[in-house]
Amino acid sequence: MKSIWLLIKKNLRLLVRSKTSALVIFFAPLLIMLLLGLSYDTSSSYGLNIGVYAPAFSEDVESLITSLQEQEFKIVKYETTVDDCVEDIKAGYIHTCLSVPESLQVEDNQQKEVTFYVDPSKINLVWMIQENLGNKFNLKSQEISRGLTSGILTSVADATTQLTEKNTELNGVKEKSSAASASALSVSQQLGALDLNLPASTYDPQALTTIKSSLSLEVENSLGEVDDAREAVEAANITNDAQILSSLNDIETKLKKVDALLSGAAVSTANSTNTGSNSTASESLSSILTLLEQDLTATQNKLTAASQAVTSSSSSLSSASQAMQESVGALDNVQQGLGQIKTTLESQKVTDANVISSPLITRIEPVAPESTYLNYLFPALLVLVVMFSSLLLGTTLVMMEKNSPAFFRNYFLPLRKGTFVISTFFTTLLITLVQVVIILGVSMVFLQESIFYMLPVAGVLLLSSSVFSFIGMGIGYAFKSEETGTLASISTGSLLLFVSGVVLPIESISPLVRKITALNPFVISESVIREVFLFHAGISSVWTEVASLVGYALALFAVILIVEYLVHKHFISGFMKSRHLKHRQQEKRDKNNV
Amino acid sequence: MIYKDYANLPALVPHITFIYYLTIISLEKVNDLKLIELKEVSKSFGKNSILGDVNLIIEEGDILGIIGRSGSGKTTLLNLVAGFLEPSEGEVLHHFKAAHGPESLHQNLHKIKDLIGYAPQHNSFYPKLTVLENLLHFGQLYKLPKETILNNIKGLLEATDLLSHQNKLAEHLSGGMQKRLDIACSLVHKPKILVLDEPTADLDPMLQKEIMNFLIQVNKQGVTLVIASHHLALLERACNKIAIVHIGRVHSHGHIDEIRKSYSKDNFTLSLSPGDNKERLISILKTLPIDRIIDKDHLLVVHPKNITKTVTGLLTAIQEENLYLHDLDIRHPSLDEIFEIITSREK
Repeated sequence: MKSIWLLIKKNLRLLVRSKTSALVIFFAPLLIMLLLGLSYDTSSSYGLNIGVYAPAFSEDVESLITSLQEQEFKIVKYETTVDDCVEDIKAGYIHTCLSVPESLQVEDNQQKEVTFYVDPSKINLVWMIQENLGNKFNLKSQEISRGLTSGILTSVADATTQLTEKNTELNGVKEKSSAASASALSVSQQLGALDLNLPASTYDPQALTTIKSSLSLEVENSLGEVDDAREAVEAANITNDAQILSSLNDIETKLKKVDALLSGAAVSTANSTNTGSNSTASESLSSILTLLEQDLTATQNKLTAASQAVTSSSSSLSSASQAMQESVGALDNVQQGLGQIKTTLESQKVTDANVISSPLITRIEPVAPESTYLNYLFPALLVLVVMFSSLLLGTTLVMMEKNSPAFFRNYFLPLRKGTFVISTFFTTLLITLVQVVIILGVSMVFLQESIFYMLPVAGVLLLSSSVFSFIGMGIGYAFKSEETGTLASISTGSLLLFVSGVVLPIESISPLVRKITALNPFVISESVIREVFLFHAGISSVWTEVASLVGYALALFAVILIVEYLVHKHFISGFMKSRHLKHRQQEKRDKNNV
Repeated sequence: MIYKDYANLPALVPHITFIYYLTIISLEKVNDLKLIELKEVSKSFGKNSILGDVNLIIEEGDILGIIGRSGSGKTTLLNLVAGFLEPSEGEVLHHFKAAHGPESLHQNLHKIKDLIGYAPQHNSFYPKLTVLENLLHFGQLYKLPKETILNNIKGLLEATDLLSHQNKLAEHLSGGMQKRLDIACSLVHKPKILVLDEPTADLDPMLQKEIMNFLIQVNKQGVTLVIASHHLALLERACNKIAIVHIGRVHSHGHIDEIRKSYSKDNFTLSLSPGDNKERLISILKTLPIDRIIDKDHLLVVHPKNITKTVTGLLTAIQEENLYLHDLDIRHPSLDEIFEIITSREK
């Protein structure tokens, strides 16, 4: 146990005394934690650039955009065509594209569709977009749904109110109708009760003929006498009133006779024995007249009753008519009200339950052809392999050279300082090229991609490899031992990977760090390869990224040359100084021992 | 020459040292063609002064040994000579291009890198490459015609005895072979001057000797050598010039015999074993032209009036009387001794 403890103490002592090792071992994890902590110490802000395409930016589309901007999403508007928006996703300028309709107001039974165009190769980003924008759209959908439901409920409430009013009116109509009905019934009963049958008397037709003949005779006679009277009047110069009076008396007599004839019943009863035919006629007429009188009385009574009934009925019917007219008016009102209700209800064009509950539907549309996850992850995997491979190769080759026994001799070779750097770089590049050829060759079989698209991918990978090789070489020059150099390379690679968006979405890190990580060569390389591999982008689409990588490579090359120059300049000085110090110390120790 | 008279002495005096036999050879190769010149050179790293006031001339054909303790500044001096370091003060000039006159070595190093070879203390080649691959790699980087490189490599492989190992990985070679390969890598472009830092460090004595012999062969082919080492005996054997560096100063530099002369002794010593007839030897010595004899028990320090006559007389008497003498030291002071003297003075 003691020996283990002693060995542990020795190990720790050696580690601490090797400054770079201590730095890497103790501070590298802390540094990584610090950087990651700073990077992801955020919860509210998202660095998503969202493209919004709409045929027209109506008020509610603008409202949606404003609500997205409130969440710190950066909005880019596209007004001409959604294809521009999609192309910008491919180019990596924006993370998602929303194709929204002109208006989000649902006016018929058609759900409004919002299409999310996403890059499926950024799986974690797709998830994040779905998570955040989906929520946003759900809220919007709920808001619209609430509006629709509210409109429907308002209509229903209005209809209810109107129906209540109309119900009251209908009750009035009902009462009036009932009253009219009662009146009608009463009239009906009254009319039903009317006896309009003729009295069942029998009249002798011959007697009536005789009476007729007698009366006709008498009338003729009277007429004759009247004619006589007229002639007499005409003949006599009407100077004598007595004559006229006589004539008129005569007429009066004759008319009295007619009158007597007509009042023959009484006369016949009294004078039935005086004249035979007249008395018979008189009797007949009398009886007839009696019967007629009776019938007329009866009829009169009936008609009086009928008149009364008619009067009553007329009154009833009049009131019933009035009631009916009022009812018609009320019913008109009700009809009008129902018409309004109908209009109100018909104004609710959204009647589909699905549309009301989900007025907005979202659809995810991948901008790349549907493929396997391997395809989507392929660009990141390629860059990952190339990054670690190049970093470690760069570091290892420099370390191998630095720690090689032949290192010292190199200083005496008639070569420029940059020659060694370039040779190390090209060695790394050559090995990476072999790796890339193998990886892409195998990938072509699995992914069934054309070599036409693989060649630019290989080119970009080599460019990325150049950048990472130089970083690895820089690490190699900066560190003393191969172990610490390798550890530093792995740490650097891990850091670049962590802030690349492959493990965690880069868009979810804090804005400041996000801006910095946008310069991450891993991010740039991955972006270019994704565009080239997944979207088959041409050089014109990725030239800025490619130029960035070239710039990185050149800058790093220059830095390494400077570092190498400084290392060269101070190598011997440092070497000699340490050597002398060591010797002097040894000398002192020897003296002390003596 | 006095030393040639002792050619038959080893039989009688087994431990007599014959260092000068070899050094004499290189003493003959003196010329005045300057290759590199250090004038009032100082070098410091920050506040640490490593070297000061160094004046040194390296001439064509030299084998210059830079000796000094660890941390004395000899590697710094070597790097200044190689143009690898820029002096803090003074100047290091090269005379490689006579038409241009002397130029700053450090500032014009890029122009003359193909004229300088450098073999650092630790092997500087790729262990995972074969011998041939290493040589081809470094040779081709000097942008020489391939035929020339192949010829050079062939010659080097033969000279270093690595021809049969040319396809072996460098890491699989023995220590001596690795060092030879390292030197071969430094020579593959046929430099005019080869700078070597501790070429025999961490090698066993046999390999050290082997390497030194190889370097002497290289020098014979016209390559000027500058060797920093603390194996003084080996340097003494190989070098014609020496620079002794101690605590940031070059205390002595020049032809090795001149340095030795300046530190030469006026006596010789007789080491005695318990069985030796000490009294008889003293009495013989007293018959010879001597100033005094100092008796240090098993060591007699003799101050002769004429060292040749005294030693000759002594050896003749020993031979006639069949006496036994453990050791007779009649050398000039060795580099080791000179170095001891210098370092003890500084203390």
